[in-house]
Amino acid sequence: MRQFFFSFFSLISFISYSFASSSAGYHEQLVLRPLPLSALLASFNFRSNITVSEFEAHNFRFFPRSLGQIIQHAGTRELHLRFSSGRWDSESWGARPWDGAREGGTGVELWAWLDAETDEEADHKWLTLTNALSGLFCASLNFIDGTRTTRPVMSFQPEGDHIDATDANTHLLYGVLPHEVVCTENLTPFLKLLPCKGKAGIATLLDGHKLFDSSWQSMAIDVRPICPTGGECVLQTELTIDMVLDIDRSKRPRDNPIPRPPPGHELPCNTSKPYHSHDTCFPADHEANQDWTLSQIFGKYMKGTCPLTDPTVPPVCLQVPNSRSVYVSDGVLEKKNLDRVSRCFEISPDTNFEMVLPSPSNDDQVVTDALVKPETPLLYAERSFTGHGQERGGVQTILRNPSPDIEVEFIYMESLPWFMRIYLHTMSARVQGSKSDDKSLIQETYYRPALDRARGSQLEVRMRIPPASTVFLTYDFEKSILRYTEYPPDANRGFDVAAAVITILNKDESKTGRFAAYNLRTTTLLCSLPTPDFSMPYNVIIFTSTAIALAFGGMFNIMVRRFVAADEGPELGLKLLKSKLRARIGGLFAKFGKGNKTQEEQDKVTEPGVVESKE
Amino acid sequence: MSAQPPSSLSTDDAPPVAVTNATSELKQPPAEKPSDIRRRGYVILSFWLIVLLLGLPIWWKTTTIYRADLPLQEMLDWSDGKACRPVFPLRISIQANSLQDQEAQNLLRLTQHALDDLNDFAGHHLRLQLSPPLGDEATSATNNGSALTIRLSPGEATTATLDPYEPTLDITYPPNNIPSPTASSSALATYVASQLRSTFGEEQATISYLLSTNSMPSEHRPLGLSPETVESLAKRTTRSLKYSPTYHLTFSLFTSGALPSSWDIETAIEEYMKPVLDVLSPIHNFTIDTQVQLYAAPGVQNDVLQKQDLSSFINAAEWPLSPSIGGAPTINFIVFVGNQTIVTSPESESSQSWLIPQWGTVYLLSQPWDTTHVSTETLKQPLLTFTSHLFSLLGTPQSGSLPLRLSTLTRIRSADLLLRASSTLGSLARLALALPSISIPSSVADGVSKTMTHLRLACDNLGGLDGLEHARIAEAEAERAFFEKSMVGQLFFPDEHKIAVYLPLLGPVAVPLIMGAINEFKAWRKRRREKAEKGAEKKKE
Repeated sequence: MRQFFFSFFSLISFISYSFASSSAGYHEQLVLRPLPLSALLASFNFRSNITVSEFEAHNFRFFPRSLGQIIQHAGTRELHLRFSSGRWDSESWGARPWDGAREGGTGVELWAWLDAETDEEADHKWLTLTNALSGLFCASLNFIDGTRTTRPVMSFQPEGDHIDATDANTHLLYGVLPHEVVCTENLTPFLKLLPCKGKAGIATLLDGHKLFDSSWQSMAIDVRPICPTGGECVLQTELTIDMVLDIDRSKRPRDNPIPRPPPGHELPCNTSKPYHSHDTCFPADHEANQDWTLSQIFGKYMKGTCPLTDPTVPPVCLQVPNSRSVYVSDGVLEKKNLDRVSRCFEISPDTNFEMVLPSPSNDDQVVTDALVKPETPLLYAERSFTGHGQERGGVQTILRNPSPDIEVEFIYMESLPWFMRIYLHTMSARVQGSKSDDKSLIQETYYRPALDRARGSQLEVRMRIPPASTVFLTYDFEKSILRYTEYPPDANRGFDVAAAVITILNKDESKTGRFAAYNLRTTTLLCSLPTPDFSMPYNVIIFTSTAIALAFGGMFNIMVRRFVAADEGPELGLKLLKSKLRARIGGLFAKFGKGNKTQEEQDKVTEPGVVESKE
Repeated sequence: MSAQPPSSLSTDDAPPVAVTNATSELKQPPAEKPSDIRRRGYVILSFWLIVLLLGLPIWWKTTTIYRADLPLQEMLDWSDGKACRPVFPLRISIQANSLQDQEAQNLLRLTQHALDDLNDFAGHHLRLQLSPPLGDEATSATNNGSALTIRLSPGEATTATLDPYEPTLDITYPPNNIPSPTASSSALATYVASQLRSTFGEEQATISYLLSTNSMPSEHRPLGLSPETVESLAKRTTRSLKYSPTYHLTFSLFTSGALPSSWDIETAIEEYMKPVLDVLSPIHNFTIDTQVQLYAAPGVQNDVLQKQDLSSFINAAEWPLSPSIGGAPTINFIVFVGNQTIVTSPESESSQSWLIPQWGTVYLLSQPWDTTHVSTETLKQPLLTFTSHLFSLLGTPQSGSLPLRLSTLTRIRSADLLLRASSTLGSLARLALALPSISIPSSVADGVSKTMTHLRLACDNLGGLDGLEHARIAEAEAERAFFEKSMVGQLFFPDEHKIAVYLPLLGPVAVPLIMGAINEFKAWRKRRREKAEKGAEKKKE
């Protein structure tokens, strides 16, 4: 518990410290935090400022020009863009980095405050913004259209200092692309935005292979105006990359990446189990594999520091208990922080930085202290589909408040695609253990229904969860049937439903000045809709055509044909051919024959043919 | 099928002996009532009427591709240069304060003669006029209409100098050179004419080159451009950017290391470039942004850059030189801090900068390795280079004084835009003719009519800023019409699709309809023939 508080305070002090240093031009910092289950959280943070006057004169120095132009062109006051993939395992890894403020749901998430007189103008600017960002970051952001855009009412508050934040001319728009696969092509433009590119400083450690191989990663771009008291307002770009690396996987050599089981004697076993013997092993994975070096994890050394960075901010910090020994390369100064669970490294500009973290000694006491105990998050959330069939379904979100004595108040926001039609009356929240739903849990609901093919539904719910309890929030929905052309390629995979955004309200806003105490997102869902057979239109055309042709032909013939007895009608088909042939042959006989044949005889020849045809 | 053989009517009363046909032994159905025959006729007729009067129009209405009416012939006329003959009437006023009115008139007449003799290109015509002597206000008033003022003043010898700040040609002449009223030629007049011709020679050559590269009919096409002139003009036109009312200038400081990381670009631009931009402001607007990029390795690492290295020097993959958003084209000016030099050939001197056609300029600035800040003085030379390159990127002619070059630029740009818009119209017309299944939305027709209105206005006002503005609108409208999005999609709707959709339905439906119609027609003809035979028999009887 003590450690928990220490790390909590260190985080708070770190955040407030970094906000205080906002007037400096540029700084970057990497925070490494080993996590349980042989994971390592690496948080890269790059922050560059531009004064408003320089921004308006288009003189870009640390602030990326490409981004600056887009922001100016689209009249953007504040911008937040997230690229994420993977899942944060909060059960074992604890609270999210940055209190969840620098992450998005799986895929791409974008929200921005735009300057516009009317809603139409805001939509137009939003279109410009998404298209321009799509080009800049090589992402399909241009697919954020009206159906994927919402205007959240309660969930978001501007982070920056706006002179007229509540102005009617400031529009908040939020768009999300859960299907987008974040990959290397998004990282390259991200690195281009940094003043030192990937050539010096902590950014040299960023590598597409490692970043997108991680268990969870989130890239964030935040642009906001900051007005320090008594100074000129600056526009701040903050680029953040958080990733959770699997140490085992990262240590695999790149030329031999196929995982192989280690030999039996190398398995880390929990020797405290009573059944532990030479052929029985309970894997001791909690503290296992906590020895690593920087170059093993990232595949390379860190090349010096970026010369532009603020020298007062140490470029690399490591959060392990002070009792653990860490070896670093020459020319690096290690400074242990007062909170006893973190240390920072001062690196001279031209040193290649390497860090070795040996495995903790075998003494049991030390092993348990090898890691900083993860902080418990304020809330756990899980969302899943319920129900079955292609017509209806339900969504269930399980929200758990782990704290024994503090009530949690938060806003739960869903932006659902239009083809999921919510039955709002079925929405209910109940505490685990009780059968009926508890009306006091849901404080306020904002619902904006979907319009088919025009906009998605938006649901924002303000809830309060009592201490140490689990709440089930459920609602039902109906699946609509899409038009033939509206199905994407590989429609049988299903349709991604964006993550729900949970914003835990900061009760004591005066303390840290932030609106949200903690943010978290559930995982995305995959909704399967009734999918047609895509050769259907041609089948339908052929089938209906055949039916119509049959009906028409029959009807037409009935109306037009004359009905006569079978022996009265004209001969048809083979019989006609036969009789014709016979007549022809008969005619030949008549010509070349004896000539004295009478008319009666001729008649006799033809008579059997007629009889035959009657049979 | 319902036709009754004529013999069947008479089977009962005629002996079978009379029948020679083998099938005649069949039992014949009873005669059909005439009302049944009529009814069958009506049934078939009504089916056909429904198909023709209802089905066909509905099908036509629902599947027809909308093609707005385009004035195709007029559009082709524009692109062939038949609709507009670009003529630049340039008025040149002569200010001869020291001459008598009579003498001045005479000189003017003789000079005009000499000019007309020299000029072989009808599209570019210089017309002299006498400006009212003295009075600065009056002069400036007439200056608005004239492209150049010739200021004649008596002097020691015959000299000509262009005023660097105003569109004025100062000519001095010895007093005895004034032509007598009766003279048919004069040395002074010829001299003035040749001076004028050399002043406007480049403009004339450029315009005639522009006309010749476009599909102008041969009678308007000026002759007499030497291949060398054509080559240099071609080089210059490919170098210049497409006309736009606004250009976006991006000044970038690139360095391959960490230093220098700041520069005094704002004051440097203010000092060295702003005056030129102000002069250009009637023709173009400029927006400016600057950036500093560190750790930007060039595409070529050699210390001495050969000519072939220059094209790969810009590291397009890594350098953030994305064009600015918004409609304006971007001109890049790059200062690269490094110790590279350019040696294009062994004997030539090394240079510092080069121009990339239609893109911008790179200037190599060598600085001590520990420079952290690039000062305004250091930036003087790069910015002056940029300024001169800006002129060639904008397509400004090289000779003459600045005001003259700018007015020439206006005329060249108008001609260029006019020709461009006309040729786009022609392409659109040819496209519409070549692809009969392409849809033409009404917005295209709208754009075409707007283009033609503005083209007409531009053609009538060629030479002035108005003409330029109209030509610009015309060009923009023509491009918009040509690149209309909804026109492109229709191109890829193949005929096989239509067959696949129509055949299963229309085949089985059409066969009974057509067969019914044919049979009914045959029966009708048979009945008529029979009637005719019967009539003939009756007549015989």
